[in-house]
Amino acid sequence: MNGALKSLASSVGGAVLAIAETIGGAVTLLFRILRALFPPRYDAEGVWRSFYNVGVKSYPIVVMTALFVGAIMVIQTAFYVKKTGATGIIGYGVGFSVFAEIGPILIGLMFSGRVGANNTAELGTMVVTEQVDALRALAIDPLPYLVVPRFLAMLGMLTLLMVLGDLFAIVGAALTAQLLVGFHWRVLVADLLQSRLLDEFTMGLVKAACFGISISCISCYFGLAVRGGATGVGRAVNNSVVSNATAIFVIDFVVGYLYSL
Amino acid sequence: MSGDAVIVCKGVGKRYGRKWIVRDIDLEVRAGELLGLIGPGGHGKSVLLRLLAGLATPDEGEVRVRGKNLADIDPFELAELRREYGYLFQNYALFDFMSVADNVAFPLRQAGGVEEPEIARRVKERLEQLGLGEALDRFPSELSGGMKKRVGMARATIGEPAIVLYDDPSAGLDPVTSSKIFRLVRTMHHSQDDVASVVVSHDIDRMKVICDRYVMIFEGKVLFDGPEEAIEGADPMVGKFFFGSLGQSSGAS
Repeated sequence: MNGALKSLASSVGGAVLAIAETIGGAVTLLFRILRALFPPRYDAEGVWRSFYNVGVKSYPIVVMTALFVGAIMVIQTAFYVKKTGATGIIGYGVGFSVFAEIGPILIGLMFSGRVGANNTAELGTMVVTEQVDALRALAIDPLPYLVVPRFLAMLGMLTLLMVLGDLFAIVGAALTAQLLVGFHWRVLVADLLQSRLLDEFTMGLVKAACFGISISCISCYFGLAVRGGATGVGRAVNNSVVSNATAIFVIDFVVGYLYSL
Repeated sequence: MSGDAVIVCKGVGKRYGRKWIVRDIDLEVRAGELLGLIGPGGHGKSVLLRLLAGLATPDEGEVRVRGKNLADIDPFELAELRREYGYLFQNYALFDFMSVADNVAFPLRQAGGVEEPEIARRVKERLEQLGLGEALDRFPSELSGGMKKRVGMARATIGEPAIVLYDDPSAGLDPVTSSKIFRLVRTMHHSQDDVASVVVSHDIDRMKVICDRYVMIFEGKVLFDGPEEAIEGADPMVGKFFFGSLGQSSGAS
Protein backbone atom coordinates (compact mmCIF):
# COMPACT_ATOMS: atom_id res chain seq x y z
CA MET A 1 0.00 0.00 0.00
CA ASN A 2 2.77 2.31 1.03
CA GLY A 3 4.69 1.44 -2.15
CA ALA A 4 1.63 2.01 -4.32
CA LEU A 5 1.07 5.43 -2.74
CA LYS A 6 4.68 6.35 -3.26
CA SER A 7 4.47 5.27 -6.88
CA LEU A 8 1.27 7.31 -7.36
CA ALA A 9 2.82 10.37 -5.73
CA SER A 10 5.90 9.94 -7.86
CA SER A 11 3.83 9.72 -11.07
CA VAL A 12 1.70 12.74 -10.17
CA GLY A 13 4.76 14.70 -9.08
CA GLY A 14 6.59 13.80 -12.27
CA ALA A 15 3.65 14.91 -14.40
CA VAL A 16 3.30 18.19 -12.49
CA LEU A 17 7.01 18.86 -12.89
CA ALA A 18 6.84 18.09 -16.61
CA ILE A 19 3.91 20.50 -17.06
CA ALA A 20 5.71 23.18 -15.03
CA GLU A 21 8.85 22.65 -17.08
CA THR A 22 6.95 23.03 -20.36
CA ILE A 23 5.09 26.14 -19.23
CA GLY A 24 8.28 27.62 -17.79
CA GLY A 25 10.26 26.82 -20.93
CA ALA A 26 7.64 28.21 -23.31
CA VAL A 27 7.07 31.38 -21.25
CA THR A 28 10.82 31.98 -20.93
CA LEU A 29 11.12 31.55 -24.69
CA LEU A 30 8.27 34.06 -25.18
CA PHE A 31 10.12 36.67 -23.12
CA ARG A 32 13.34 36.02 -25.02
CA ILE A 33 11.43 36.42 -28.31
CA LEU A 34 9.84 39.69 -27.16
CA ARG A 35 13.27 40.98 -26.16
CA ALA A 36 14.72 39.96 -29.51
CA LEU A 37 11.99 41.89 -31.36
CA PHE A 38 13.39 45.26 -30.28
CA PRO A 39 15.51 46.49 -31.90
CA PRO A 40 14.68 44.35 -34.94
CA ARG A 41 17.68 42.20 -35.76
CA TYR A 42 16.00 39.22 -37.31
CA ASP A 43 16.43 37.83 -40.77
CA ALA A 44 13.92 39.57 -43.10
CA GLU A 45 14.16 36.84 -45.72
CA GLY A 46 13.53 34.22 -43.05
CA VAL A 47 10.43 36.14 -41.92
CA TRP A 48 8.98 36.14 -45.45
CA ARG A 49 9.85 32.47 -45.89
CA SER A 50 8.06 31.68 -42.62
CA PHE A 51 5.01 33.75 -43.61
CA TYR A 52 4.80 31.76 -46.83
CA ASN A 53 5.31 28.37 -45.17
CA VAL A 54 2.95 29.11 -42.30
CA GLY A 55 0.27 31.12 -44.07
CA VAL A 56 0.09 30.35 -47.75
CA LYS A 57 0.63 26.64 -47.30
CA SER A 58 -1.96 26.46 -44.51
CA TYR A 59 -4.87 28.22 -46.15
CA PRO A 60 -6.30 25.13 -47.93
CA ILE A 61 -6.66 23.25 -44.65
CA VAL A 62 -8.17 26.32 -42.96
CA VAL A 63 -10.64 26.86 -45.80
CA MET A 64 -11.68 23.22 -45.76
CA THR A 65 -12.09 23.21 -41.96
CA ALA A 66 -14.07 26.45 -42.06
CA LEU A 67 -16.44 25.23 -44.78
CA PHE A 68 -17.27 22.16 -42.71
CA VAL A 69 -17.56 24.14 -39.47
CA GLY A 70 -20.13 26.43 -41.10
CA ALA A 71 -21.96 23.48 -42.62
CA ILE A 72 -22.09 21.52 -39.38
CA MET A 73 -23.34 24.50 -37.40
CA VAL A 74 -26.21 25.04 -39.85
CA ILE A 75 -27.21 21.40 -39.65
CA GLN A 76 -27.15 21.47 -35.85
CA THR A 77 -28.99 24.80 -35.58
CA ALA A 78 -31.55 23.97 -38.25
CA PHE A 79 -32.97 21.14 -36.17
CA TYR A 80 -34.03 23.51 -33.37
CA VAL A 81 -35.00 26.29 -35.75
CA LYS A 82 -37.38 23.97 -37.60
CA LYS A 83 -38.74 22.60 -34.36
CA THR A 84 -39.44 26.02 -32.88
CA GLY A 85 -40.09 27.91 -36.10
CA ALA A 86 -37.60 30.59 -35.04
CA THR A 87 -36.02 31.00 -38.47
CA GLY A 88 -34.73 34.41 -37.48
CA ILE A 89 -32.06 32.98 -35.20
CA ILE A 90 -30.32 30.67 -37.64
CA GLY A 91 -27.85 33.34 -38.74
CA TYR A 92 -27.19 34.41 -35.17
CA GLY A 93 -26.71 30.83 -33.99
CA VAL A 94 -24.31 29.98 -36.75
CA GLY A 95 -22.39 33.25 -36.51
CA PHE A 96 -22.06 33.20 -32.76
CA SER A 97 -20.75 29.67 -32.55
CA VAL A 98 -18.51 29.96 -35.60
CA PHE A 99 -16.95 33.32 -34.77
CA ALA A 100 -16.55 32.88 -31.04
CA GLU A 101 -15.99 29.20 -30.32
CA ILE A 102 -16.02 26.40 -32.84
CA GLY A 103 -14.22 28.28 -35.59
CA PRO A 104 -11.23 29.42 -33.52
CA ILE A 105 -10.87 26.09 -31.72
CA LEU A 106 -11.06 23.88 -34.80
CA ILE A 107 -8.93 26.14 -36.97
CA GLY A 108 -6.45 26.51 -34.10
CA LEU A 109 -6.24 22.73 -33.69
CA MET A 110 -5.80 22.14 -37.42
CA PHE A 111 -3.16 24.86 -37.58
CA SER A 112 -1.38 23.42 -34.57
CA GLY A 113 -1.42 19.94 -36.13
CA ARG A 114 -0.01 21.16 -39.41
CA VAL A 115 2.24 24.08 -38.55
CA GLY A 116 3.14 23.43 -34.90
CA ALA A 117 4.06 19.77 -35.42
CA ASN A 118 5.99 20.59 -38.58
CA ASN A 119 7.83 23.37 -36.78
CA THR A 120 8.87 21.13 -33.89
CA ALA A 121 10.04 18.43 -36.30
CA GLU A 122 12.00 20.94 -38.40
CA LEU A 123 13.75 22.57 -35.47
CA GLY A 124 14.32 19.23 -33.77
CA THR A 125 15.94 17.84 -36.90
CA MET A 126 18.11 20.94 -37.13
CA VAL A 127 19.23 20.32 -33.54
CA VAL A 128 20.10 16.65 -33.99
CA THR A 129 21.90 17.28 -37.30
CA GLU A 130 23.94 20.03 -35.61
CA GLN A 131 22.52 22.77 -37.87
CA VAL A 132 21.65 24.86 -34.82
CA ASP A 133 25.20 24.43 -33.52
CA ALA A 134 26.45 25.40 -36.98
CA LEU A 135 24.54 28.67 -36.69
CA ARG A 136 26.09 29.33 -33.31
CA ALA A 137 29.52 28.43 -34.65
CA LEU A 138 28.94 31.02 -37.38
CA ALA A 139 28.23 33.65 -34.72
CA ILE A 140 24.49 33.64 -35.41
CA ASP A 141 22.04 33.56 -32.53
CA PRO A 142 19.45 30.89 -33.40
CA LEU A 143 16.71 32.83 -31.61
CA PRO A 144 16.39 35.81 -33.98
CA TYR A 145 17.31 33.68 -36.96
CA LEU A 146 15.06 30.67 -36.42
CA VAL A 147 12.50 31.41 -33.73
CA VAL A 148 11.49 35.06 -34.18
CA PRO A 149 10.45 34.67 -37.86
CA ARG A 150 8.31 31.67 -36.93
CA PHE A 151 6.74 33.56 -34.02
CA LEU A 152 5.84 36.54 -36.20
CA ALA A 153 4.52 34.30 -38.96
CA MET A 154 2.33 32.20 -36.66
CA LEU A 155 0.97 35.22 -34.81
CA GLY A 156 0.24 37.19 -37.98
CA MET A 157 -0.91 34.41 -40.25
CA LEU A 158 -3.17 32.57 -37.80
CA THR A 159 -5.00 35.84 -37.13
CA LEU A 160 -5.40 36.47 -40.86
CA LEU A 161 -6.35 32.86 -41.49
CA MET A 162 -9.06 33.18 -38.85
CA VAL A 163 -10.63 36.05 -40.85
CA LEU A 164 -10.46 33.87 -43.95
CA GLY A 165 -11.85 30.96 -41.96
CA ASP A 166 -14.82 33.04 -40.71
CA LEU A 167 -15.58 34.07 -44.27
CA PHE A 168 -15.50 30.53 -45.58
CA ALA A 169 -17.50 29.26 -42.61
CA ILE A 170 -20.28 31.63 -43.66
CA VAL A 171 -19.97 30.34 -47.23
CA GLY A 172 -20.16 26.76 -45.97
CA ALA A 173 -23.15 27.63 -43.81
CA ALA A 174 -24.95 29.44 -46.62
CA LEU A 175 -24.38 26.60 -49.09
CA THR A 176 -25.58 23.99 -46.61
CA ALA A 177 -28.61 26.08 -45.67
CA GLN A 178 -29.56 26.44 -49.31
CA LEU A 179 -28.75 22.97 -50.59
CA LEU A 180 -29.38 20.61 -47.68
CA VAL A 181 -31.54 22.21 -45.02
CA GLY A 182 -34.07 24.12 -47.08
CA PHE A 183 -33.39 27.67 -45.89
CA HIS A 184 -32.63 30.38 -48.39
CA TRP A 185 -29.02 31.44 -48.02
CA ARG A 186 -30.00 35.11 -48.07
CA VAL A 187 -32.09 34.63 -44.94
CA LEU A 188 -29.11 33.20 -43.12
CA VAL A 189 -26.67 35.86 -44.27
CA ALA A 190 -29.08 38.73 -43.64
CA ASP A 191 -29.81 37.42 -40.15
CA LEU A 192 -26.12 36.99 -39.46
CA LEU A 193 -25.34 40.55 -40.55
CA GLN A 194 -28.15 41.96 -38.43
CA SER A 195 -26.99 40.05 -35.39
CA ARG A 196 -24.05 42.44 -34.80
CA LEU A 197 -21.56 39.85 -33.80
CA LEU A 198 -18.59 42.19 -33.79
CA ASP A 199 -17.65 41.23 -30.21
CA GLU A 200 -17.72 37.54 -31.10
CA PHE A 201 -15.71 38.21 -34.25
CA THR A 202 -13.03 40.16 -32.36
CA MET A 203 -13.02 37.51 -29.62
CA GLY A 204 -12.22 34.94 -32.29
CA LEU A 205 -9.37 37.08 -33.57
CA VAL A 206 -7.99 37.60 -30.06
CA LYS A 207 -8.13 33.85 -29.53
CA ALA A 208 -6.38 33.29 -32.85
CA ALA A 209 -3.59 35.70 -31.91
CA CYS A 210 -3.17 33.99 -28.53
CA PHE A 211 -3.17 30.58 -30.22
CA GLY A 212 -0.51 31.82 -32.65
CA ILE A 213 1.68 32.95 -29.76
CA SER A 214 1.25 29.72 -27.80
CA ILE A 215 1.68 27.41 -30.81
CA SER A 216 4.89 29.18 -31.86
CA CYS A 217 6.39 29.21 -28.36
CA ILE A 218 5.45 25.63 -27.50
CA SER A 219 6.49 24.15 -30.84
CA CYS A 220 9.79 26.05 -30.89
CA TYR A 221 10.48 25.15 -27.26
CA PHE A 222 10.04 21.42 -27.90
CA GLY A 223 11.95 21.62 -31.18
CA LEU A 224 14.98 23.30 -29.68
CA ALA A 225 14.96 21.05 -26.60
CA VAL A 226 15.26 17.83 -28.64
CA ARG A 227 17.83 15.34 -27.42
CA GLY A 228 18.68 11.93 -28.74
CA GLY A 229 18.30 11.69 -32.51
CA ALA A 230 15.25 10.57 -34.46
CA THR A 231 13.53 9.11 -31.40
CA GLY A 232 13.94 12.43 -29.64
CA VAL A 233 12.40 14.28 -32.56
CA GLY A 234 9.40 11.95 -32.59
CA ARG A 235 8.91 12.37 -28.84
CA ALA A 236 9.19 16.14 -29.13
CA VAL A 237 6.59 16.31 -31.91
CA ASN A 238 4.23 14.17 -29.85
CA ASN A 239 4.69 16.38 -26.78
CA SER A 240 4.31 19.50 -28.88
CA VAL A 241 0.99 18.39 -30.41
CA VAL A 242 -0.48 17.38 -27.04
CA SER A 243 0.74 20.55 -25.29
CA ASN A 244 -0.52 22.79 -28.08
CA ALA A 245 -3.96 21.20 -28.06
CA THR A 246 -4.16 21.58 -24.28
CA ALA A 247 -2.99 25.21 -24.48
CA ILE A 248 -5.64 25.96 -27.12
CA PHE A 249 -8.45 24.77 -24.84
CA VAL A 250 -7.05 26.63 -21.83
CA ILE A 251 -6.64 29.87 -23.82
CA ASP A 252 -10.10 29.48 -25.31
CA PHE A 253 -11.56 29.15 -21.83
CA VAL A 254 -9.61 32.10 -20.40
CA VAL A 255 -10.38 34.49 -23.28
CA GLY A 256 -14.02 33.40 -23.35
CA TYR A 257 -14.31 33.97 -19.62
CA LEU A 258 -12.66 37.40 -19.82
CA TYR A 259 -15.05 38.44 -22.60
CA SER A 260 -18.00 37.31 -20.50
CA LEU A 261 -17.11 39.63 -17.62
CA MET B 1 55.53 27.09 -38.21
CA SER B 2 53.64 27.76 -34.98
CA GLY B 3 53.31 31.08 -33.23
CA ASP B 4 51.47 32.51 -30.23
CA ALA B 5 48.85 30.51 -28.39
CA VAL B 6 45.40 31.39 -29.79
CA ILE B 7 43.40 29.05 -27.57
CA VAL B 8 44.49 28.09 -24.07
CA CYS B 9 42.66 25.52 -21.93
CA LYS B 10 43.42 25.36 -18.24
CA GLY B 11 42.07 22.53 -16.10
CA VAL B 12 39.06 22.14 -18.37
CA GLY B 13 36.42 19.59 -17.45
CA LYS B 14 33.01 18.78 -18.86
CA ARG B 15 30.47 16.34 -17.55
CA TYR B 16 27.08 15.10 -18.66
CA GLY B 17 25.08 14.16 -15.62
CA ARG B 18 27.56 12.73 -13.13
CA LYS B 19 29.95 11.38 -15.72
CA TRP B 20 33.00 13.45 -16.55
CA ILE B 21 33.61 13.28 -20.29
CA VAL B 22 36.85 15.24 -20.16
CA ARG B 23 38.73 16.47 -17.10
CA ASP B 24 41.89 18.37 -16.16
CA ILE B 25 42.62 19.30 -19.75
CA ASP B 26 45.54 21.68 -20.22
CA LEU B 27 46.04 22.50 -23.86
CA GLU B 28 47.33 25.20 -26.17
CA VAL B 29 46.46 25.74 -29.81
CA ARG B 30 48.99 27.96 -31.56
CA ALA B 31 48.72 30.18 -34.60
CA GLY B 32 50.04 28.51 -37.74
CA GLU B 33 49.97 24.94 -36.44
CA LEU B 34 47.86 22.00 -37.49
CA LEU B 35 47.05 20.15 -34.31
CA GLY B 36 45.73 16.61 -34.32
CA LEU B 37 43.38 15.61 -31.48
CA ILE B 38 43.67 11.85 -31.48
CA GLY B 39 42.47 9.01 -29.31
CA PRO B 40 40.07 6.10 -29.34
CA GLY B 41 36.38 6.70 -29.97
CA GLY B 42 34.24 7.73 -26.99
CA HIS B 43 37.08 9.30 -25.02
CA GLY B 44 36.05 12.96 -25.32
CA LYS B 45 37.74 14.40 -28.42
CA SER B 46 34.63 15.90 -29.99
CA VAL B 47 33.45 17.24 -26.65
CA LEU B 48 36.81 18.95 -26.23
CA LEU B 49 36.50 20.43 -29.72
CA ARG B 50 33.08 21.85 -28.83
CA LEU B 51 34.62 23.37 -25.71
CA LEU B 52 37.36 24.97 -27.82
CA ALA B 53 34.67 26.51 -30.05
CA GLY B 54 32.57 27.76 -27.16
CA LEU B 55 29.69 25.53 -28.26
CA ALA B 56 29.79 23.89 -24.84
CA THR B 57 30.62 25.50 -21.52
CA PRO B 58 33.17 23.81 -19.26
CA ASP B 59 31.99 22.67 -15.83
CA GLU B 60 35.44 23.41 -14.46
CA GLY B 61 38.51 25.23 -15.69
CA GLU B 62 38.56 27.82 -18.46
CA VAL B 63 38.95 28.11 -22.20
CA ARG B 64 40.64 31.35 -23.27
CA VAL B 65 40.63 32.55 -26.84
CA ARG B 66 43.06 35.40 -27.46
CA GLY B 67 43.17 35.86 -23.72
CA LYS B 68 39.40 36.07 -23.23
CA ASN B 69 37.66 33.48 -21.08
CA LEU B 70 34.73 32.21 -23.17
CA ALA B 71 32.61 31.68 -20.06
CA ASP B 72 33.00 35.28 -18.88
CA ILE B 73 32.32 37.29 -22.03
CA ASP B 74 28.88 38.57 -23.05
CA PRO B 75 27.00 37.01 -25.99
CA PHE B 76 27.93 39.84 -28.36
CA GLU B 77 31.62 39.50 -27.57
CA LEU B 78 31.31 35.73 -27.96
CA ALA B 79 29.65 36.26 -31.35
CA GLU B 80 32.53 38.53 -32.36
CA LEU B 81 35.07 35.89 -31.31
CA ARG B 82 33.17 33.21 -33.17
CA ARG B 83 33.66 35.15 -36.40
CA GLU B 84 37.28 34.06 -36.10
CA TYR B 85 36.21 30.40 -36.21
CA GLY B 86 35.47 27.92 -38.91
CA TYR B 87 33.95 24.62 -37.83
CA LEU B 88 33.50 21.47 -39.86
CA PHE B 89 30.88 19.32 -38.17
CA GLN B 90 31.09 15.56 -38.05
CA ASN B 91 27.62 15.23 -39.61
CA TYR B 92 28.20 18.11 -42.04
CA ALA B 93 25.45 20.31 -40.48
CA LEU B 94 24.63 21.82 -43.85
CA PHE B 95 21.44 23.89 -43.95
CA ASP B 96 19.15 21.62 -45.91
CA PHE B 97 16.83 24.43 -47.03
CA MET B 98 19.70 26.18 -48.83
CA SER B 99 21.57 25.33 -52.01
CA VAL B 100 25.27 24.47 -51.85
CA ALA B 101 26.19 27.99 -53.00
CA ASP B 102 23.94 29.59 -50.36
CA ASN B 103 25.36 27.33 -47.64
CA VAL B 104 28.89 28.39 -48.49
CA ALA B 105 27.95 32.05 -48.93
CA PHE B 106 26.08 32.09 -45.63
CA PRO B 107 28.98 33.13 -43.34
CA LEU B 108 29.94 35.96 -45.68
CA ARG B 109 26.37 37.24 -45.98
CA GLN B 110 25.85 37.11 -42.24
CA ALA B 111 29.13 38.87 -41.51
CA GLY B 112 28.19 41.64 -43.94
CA GLY B 113 30.49 44.08 -45.68
CA VAL B 114 31.01 41.97 -48.80
CA GLU B 115 29.10 42.80 -52.00
CA GLU B 116 26.97 40.06 -53.55
CA PRO B 117 29.04 39.73 -56.80
CA GLU B 118 32.19 39.34 -54.70
CA ILE B 119 30.46 36.70 -52.54
CA ALA B 120 29.40 34.80 -55.67
CA ARG B 121 32.95 34.97 -57.05
CA ARG B 122 34.52 33.73 -53.82
CA VAL B 123 31.99 30.94 -53.37
CA LYS B 124 32.51 29.71 -56.93
CA GLU B 125 36.27 29.88 -56.55
CA ARG B 126 36.26 27.98 -53.23
CA LEU B 127 33.90 25.29 -54.49
CA GLU B 128 35.98 24.83 -57.64
CA GLN B 129 39.08 24.51 -55.47
CA LEU B 130 37.31 21.68 -53.63
CA GLY B 131 36.13 20.03 -56.84
CA LEU B 132 32.52 21.10 -56.44
CA GLY B 133 32.23 23.65 -59.22
CA GLU B 134 29.28 21.80 -60.73
CA ALA B 135 27.33 21.51 -57.48
CA LEU B 136 26.59 25.19 -56.87
CA ASP B 137 22.83 24.96 -57.34
CA ARG B 138 22.33 21.54 -55.85
CA PHE B 139 20.86 20.93 -52.41
CA PRO B 140 22.59 18.97 -49.61
CA SER B 141 20.12 16.09 -49.98
CA GLU B 142 21.42 15.57 -53.53
CA LEU B 143 25.06 15.17 -52.48
CA SER B 144 27.17 12.20 -51.42
CA GLY B 145 28.85 12.08 -47.99
CA GLY B 146 32.22 13.15 -49.38
CA MET B 147 30.66 16.05 -51.26
CA LYS B 148 28.82 17.18 -48.16
CA LYS B 149 32.10 17.12 -46.24
CA ARG B 150 33.73 19.29 -48.88
CA VAL B 151 30.79 21.74 -48.84
CA GLY B 152 31.10 21.86 -45.05
CA MET B 153 34.79 22.52 -45.46
CA ALA B 154 34.11 25.31 -47.95
CA ARG B 155 31.62 26.89 -45.55
CA ALA B 156 34.04 26.57 -42.63
CA THR B 157 36.87 28.28 -44.49
CA ILE B 158 35.19 30.77 -46.85
CA GLY B 159 35.44 33.58 -44.32
CA GLU B 160 39.17 32.92 -43.96
CA PRO B 161 38.90 32.31 -40.22
CA ALA B 162 41.94 32.39 -37.95
CA ILE B 163 40.90 29.18 -36.17
CA VAL B 164 39.50 26.19 -38.02
CA LEU B 165 38.17 23.15 -36.17
CA TYR B 166 37.53 19.92 -38.06
CA ASP B 167 35.44 17.33 -36.25
CA ASP B 168 36.33 13.93 -37.67
CA PRO B 169 36.54 14.96 -41.32
CA SER B 170 36.78 11.37 -42.53
CA ALA B 171 33.83 9.98 -40.54
CA GLY B 172 31.72 7.68 -42.66
CA LEU B 173 33.85 8.10 -45.78
CA ASP B 174 35.66 5.48 -47.83
CA PRO B 175 39.51 5.42 -47.64
CA VAL B 176 40.03 7.17 -50.97
CA THR B 177 37.64 10.00 -50.15
CA SER B 178 39.13 10.23 -46.64
CA SER B 179 42.62 10.73 -48.04
CA LYS B 180 41.28 13.40 -50.37
CA ILE B 181 39.55 15.18 -47.48
CA PHE B 182 42.74 15.15 -45.35
CA ARG B 183 44.74 16.56 -48.26
CA LEU B 184 42.14 19.31 -48.54
CA VAL B 185 42.47 20.03 -44.82
CA ARG B 186 46.19 20.53 -45.35
CA THR B 187 45.56 22.71 -48.42
CA MET B 188 43.05 24.84 -46.53
CA HIS B 189 45.43 25.18 -43.61
CA HIS B 190 48.28 26.39 -45.79
CA SER B 191 46.11 28.66 -47.94
CA GLN B 192 46.37 31.41 -45.29
CA ASP B 193 49.09 32.52 -42.93
CA ASP B 194 48.91 31.82 -39.20
CA VAL B 195 45.75 29.74 -39.23
CA ALA B 196 45.35 27.56 -36.15
CA SER B 197 43.75 24.29 -37.23
CA VAL B 198 42.58 21.48 -34.99
CA VAL B 199 41.59 18.14 -36.49
CA VAL B 200 39.79 15.48 -34.48
CA SER B 201 40.21 11.98 -35.83
CA HIS B 202 41.21 8.47 -34.92
CA ASP B 203 42.48 7.96 -38.45
CA ILE B 204 46.16 8.06 -37.49
CA ASP B 205 47.61 7.09 -40.86
CA ARG B 206 46.04 10.09 -42.55
CA MET B 207 46.67 12.41 -39.60
CA LYS B 208 50.38 11.60 -39.77
CA VAL B 209 50.53 13.15 -43.22
CA ILE B 210 49.16 16.52 -42.20
CA CYS B 211 49.62 17.29 -38.48
CA ASP B 212 52.43 19.25 -36.82
CA ARG B 213 51.57 18.19 -33.28
CA TYR B 214 49.33 15.67 -31.56
CA VAL B 215 47.29 15.67 -28.40
CA MET B 216 46.04 12.27 -27.40
CA ILE B 217 42.89 12.13 -25.30
CA PHE B 218 42.41 8.92 -23.37
CA GLU B 219 39.56 8.40 -20.93
CA GLY B 220 38.89 12.13 -20.98
CA LYS B 221 42.43 13.20 -20.11
CA VAL B 222 45.46 14.36 -22.05
CA LEU B 223 47.77 11.38 -22.32
CA PHE B 224 50.21 12.93 -24.74
CA ASP B 225 51.00 16.36 -26.14
CA GLY B 226 53.80 16.75 -28.64
CA PRO B 227 55.15 15.98 -32.11
CA GLU B 228 55.46 12.49 -33.53
CA GLU B 229 59.16 12.35 -32.59
CA ALA B 230 58.30 12.63 -28.88
CA ILE B 231 56.04 9.58 -28.84
CA GLU B 232 58.85 7.17 -28.08
CA GLY B 233 59.35 8.55 -24.59
CA ALA B 234 55.63 8.79 -23.84
CA ASP B 235 53.18 6.44 -22.15
CA PRO B 236 53.23 3.06 -23.96
CA MET B 237 49.53 3.47 -24.68
CA VAL B 238 50.33 6.39 -26.97
CA GLY B 239 52.74 4.36 -29.07
CA LYS B 240 50.28 1.51 -29.14
CA PHE B 241 47.58 3.82 -30.44
CA PHE B 242 49.82 5.74 -32.79
CA PHE B 243 51.70 2.88 -34.37
CA GLY B 244 49.29 0.07 -33.65
CA SER B 245 45.55 -0.09 -33.95
CA LEU B 246 44.21 0.58 -30.46
CA GLY B 247 40.64 1.80 -30.69
CA GLN B 248 40.89 2.69 -34.35
CA SER B 249 37.90 0.69 -35.29
CA SER B 250 35.57 2.76 -33.14
CA GLY B 251 34.07 6.05 -34.21
CA ALA B 252 35.48 9.36 -33.15
CA SER B 253 33.93 10.89 -30.06
